[in-house]
Amino acid sequence: MKAKKIDHVGIVVKYLEAAVATYRANFGFEADPARGGDVPAMGIRNAFIPIGESDIELFESTASEGPVAKFAAERGEGLFMVSIEVDDVAAAVAELRGRGLRVGDPSPAGVAFVSMKSTHGVNLHLVQR
Amino acid sequence: MAIGATHIDHIVISSNDSAATAELFARNFGIEIKRTMSRPGTRAHLEFAKLQEVVLEFAGPGDVQPYDEVKARLSGFVLAVPDIDAAVAELRAKGVDVGEPHAAVQPGAKLAGIRSGTNGVPLALIQYGALPIPAAEDA
Repeated sequence: MKAKKIDHVGIVVKYLEAAVATYRANFGFEADPARGGDVPAMGIRNAFIPIGESDIELFESTASEGPVAKFAAERGEGLFMVSIEVDDVAAAVAELRGRGLRVGDPSPAGVAFVSMKSTHGVNLHLVQR
Repeated sequence: MAIGATHIDHIVISSNDSAATAELFARNFGIEIKRTMSRPGTRAHLEFAKLQEVVLEFAGPGDVQPYDEVKARLSGFVLAVPDIDAAVAELRAKGVDVGEPHAAVQPGAKLAGIRSGTNGVPLALIQYGALPIPAAEDA
């Protein structure tokens, strides 16, 4: 597989609206009103801040279980993950699995989670746009 | 007012064996390590890859111990700004705790760490072309 670019970095926050306001006030960043909101399947609410060719994703856990809820419970807030854009996420998943990496099935939105056991502990997602 | 950040300049991945983590990412995810840096006395080994405008920086100790397991984590990211002194002044005026800009490992660049107002994310600012680039020493 060939990584195209950094799609986004993901930041876990306690309160989404407050975090969006903080990034606006401190850095002048504006969340994209056309994206973000509730993502029940992932147990989060999120907002995307475009910067250059990438995004900063702020997200708040809305579930009591799952990786985001666990991170929030253990660390509160912080840098959670990085997402790399690929041309064909299904092909990338197949290729990585062929090398023995543990990778989740791509979601309907074109996102696949690479197991942290296969990245030395880095939370890495692949995404197809 | 905004600090004028143009893009994410680089993302730092810290590892107890940065060469091994960089090699793992290069082998599996199709990134190319463009530069390595291991200066005597700095106690750090850095490897750099670039994905379009964003650099992935793999950072670790210069003298790698025989670990049972290589462990890495995302440890922060850096925003590019056109005028770091103005950006730092603006952030400080807003009450954000920002370090003094200093020379970065990137030639000619100045870097300033941000210590508050980021929702727990280690964040820094970088400006390229802020300092004269020293001429290469004669062999």
